[in-house]
Amino acid sequence: MHRYLASRLLGLLAVMGIVAVFVFVLTHAAPGDPVAVLLGDQASAEDIARVRVQYGLDKPLPVQFAYWLREVLHGNLGQSIFLQRPVTQALAERAEPTALLAAMAVLIASAIGVPCGVASAVYRGRWIDQLFTGIAMLGASIPSFWLGLVLMQLFAVGLGWFPVSGYGSPEAGLGERLHALVLPAIVLGLLNSALVIRFTRAAMLEVLEEDYVRTARSKGLPERTVVLKHALRNALVPIVTVIGLTVALMIGGAVVTETVFGLPGVGSLVVNAVLRRDYPVIQGALLAVAAIYVVINLLVDLLYMAVDPRVKL
Amino acid sequence: MTHPRWHRRHVLAATLAACGGALALPRSASAQARSHLTLAMVAEPQTLDPMASTADLVGTIMQHVYEPLYTFNGKWHIVPMLAEALPTVSADGRRYVIPLRKGVPLHSGRELQADDVVASLKRWMEMAPRGKAVAKEVEDLAADGAGKVVITLKNAYAPLLAQLALPTGMAAIMAKEAIATPLKEFIGTGPYRFKERKPDQYVLLSRFEQYSPRKEAASGYGGRREALVDELRFVPVPNANTRVEGVLAGQYHFADLLPIESLPRLEQANGRVVPIRTPSFGFPYLVFNTKEGVFASQPLRQAVEMAIGEGEMMAAGFGDTRFFSVQPNHFPEGTPFYSTAGADHYNQRNAAKAKELAEKAGYKGEPIRVLTSRQYDFHYNMALVMAEQLKRAGFKPQLEVVDWATLVQRRNDPKLWDLYVTHSGQFPEPMLSPPQLGDGAPGWWNSATKQRVLADFNREADPAKRGALWAKVQQLVYEEVPYIMVGKFSSLSARLPALEGYAPAIWPFFWNVRVKG
Repeated sequence: MHRYLASRLLGLLAVMGIVAVFVFVLTHAAPGDPVAVLLGDQASAEDIARVRVQYGLDKPLPVQFAYWLREVLHGNLGQSIFLQRPVTQALAERAEPTALLAAMAVLIASAIGVPCGVASAVYRGRWIDQLFTGIAMLGASIPSFWLGLVLMQLFAVGLGWFPVSGYGSPEAGLGERLHALVLPAIVLGLLNSALVIRFTRAAMLEVLEEDYVRTARSKGLPERTVVLKHALRNALVPIVTVIGLTVALMIGGAVVTETVFGLPGVGSLVVNAVLRRDYPVIQGALLAVAAIYVVINLLVDLLYMAVDPRVKL
Repeated sequence: MTHPRWHRRHVLAATLAACGGALALPRSASAQARSHLTLAMVAEPQTLDPMASTADLVGTIMQHVYEPLYTFNGKWHIVPMLAEALPTVSADGRRYVIPLRKGVPLHSGRELQADDVVASLKRWMEMAPRGKAVAKEVEDLAADGAGKVVITLKNAYAPLLAQLALPTGMAAIMAKEAIATPLKEFIGTGPYRFKERKPDQYVLLSRFEQYSPRKEAASGYGGRREALVDELRFVPVPNANTRVEGVLAGQYHFADLLPIESLPRLEQANGRVVPIRTPSFGFPYLVFNTKEGVFASQPLRQAVEMAIGEGEMMAAGFGDTRFFSVQPNHFPEGTPFYSTAGADHYNQRNAAKAKELAEKAGYKGEPIRVLTSRQYDFHYNMALVMAEQLKRAGFKPQLEVVDWATLVQRRNDPKLWDLYVTHSGQFPEPMLSPPQLGDGAPGWWNSATKQRVLADFNREADPAKRGALWAKVQQLVYEEVPYIMVGKFSSLSARLPALEGYAPAIWPFFWNVRVKG
């Protein structure tokens, strides 16, 4: 176990190193100049050159990379060109909506996906199965901006239950902020439940064919116990995996939903940074998201042990 | 295998409950005694320093906090704001004596003095892009007692007052003790004072109780300003559809710059929202690379001018005829610089004639590299139509569609392009836009005639005479074709009926408006 953890942590560092190189090279390989965007149409060539020097953008790329890496190793992700604050601070400010949104969305996705997937497997081939599989197909193919706008029109414009966008008014408490996250969380939850349904169904179908399920039934156990206790527990490993991956994806990837609902999250931070070529923010945010991704993967692997005692690490 | 019936029902019921459970909370009903406006803007401002950026959004927000010496009235004439009156200008047009209004309180409580104005203008000339252009013309800037400021120019420079009046890249007057870079405090004289900023969430401004308004009636940005609402909340809502839904839902009192396609929905909302059309909001224009490549040849640029149909391009870019106009005049009718000089060069769409001109100019089928971006849909749509028009005239256009950050970088290199598509806000002074009228902007237009005609225009300080001199510049632009002004477009915004007294403006302002109920 300890050896496993140690090797995983080493691997984690290696992955982060590779990510750091890629992120840096790709960001700088893209054409475009942050300073030209920052200073706007009226700026002269001298102004642009002066500000480039100010941000060290005039130095050769390897020098910039070495400088950046040194700062990163000291826990400093650099200074945003546009936001006029450290990248770590910008990330910290955006972390709350993104984390809360991911948590709510995963809860919704699991609450829908697992029961629907189980029911689909139990009633394999019946109308319920076809209904849920159909819903899952639909969920996997609907674009999130469309669903977001539809729900917005229905529940925010039509019924007025939720705000259309934003993260609460200036004097908002946690309750109001959570309230503002409900619609986007439903969008993300619904769409991601599709994957959970498919995985749960597949895992359950496999387990339901097992001998011990037949044994359990032949013992005369109630069907509910057979399905929920004997089958579902054993089918949990792939389900936990897919839920874990969903969390990881949402931390860095709820970009579209965040933009549609005007949420000040990590996704919109990254998109704006890319459009303006705000190199330090792109690099810092991608590095942070990659780190979270890798850590969540590790946690998921560790969770296997909790849900399945047969797994030995 | 069959399952007992109740089990099946049980699973089904649990499943449906999970699938269909809605998490609805009632809309929060927070009682607020203070009135406020929630204003949905297109983005997060890059900065709140009104001098540091020429971005419209920065000027739109900060014009409530800071005021300039002069501003524009509803007819685009320059009128005094913090200045008491228009300046007295010496006969040679080099010495401007600007009298200041007395008894104007700053947000810090102190009265505004001439040395605040001098310190602010010095900062503006050091750091603001517009200010630096003015600095090249200025010999001396000094206070004359507490109530006057004197600007001495190297040569007569007529755009001075317009430069001082523009709300973007603003020559904002600040308390001299609050001047720092970057700004830590925002101490101005405006009807609103800065309260709080949370990036990507809001900028809050609150009413400045001691504000001293001008006596003249309000007109455009000029005249009497009154803060009738306690707090302004500028909220970034980058997604245009979300701004539409938000104003329809009543969440925003005002939603800025909406897609024109959303107009039918706004009109059919049973009076829940009021669409706002701001005419002559801006103009798209095509810039030629006059320095290198095929369009270094003026006759060839004239052939392109002959080939294209600006009307078709505007229709492709803006769709609804209420939102664009196809007019050769660079400035709208009824404003000081309105002129139809060169009109016969506009919207010709004559492929045969263009082909002839191109052949005469020695065009051998070289590719025409057109830089455009999809960041603004209308740029791309117009470029598509233009490419077809050029093909009909025998040109070989080659669209290079890149993102905006790439375009603004590439256009600085004369080796990389022949023509690019862009747009500008419609400013009340020709020398403010497009930058190609000045020196050094991409396109690098430079000719002896240009220097002479623009020098005449810039030397004449009398606003009445400048109109006629502008006509000569416009004529020259149509003849030498450094850029083509394609047409004029209007913008669409929307407000709730409860927001009363709003006057359409290129940089929307929220003094003199009230909120009902």
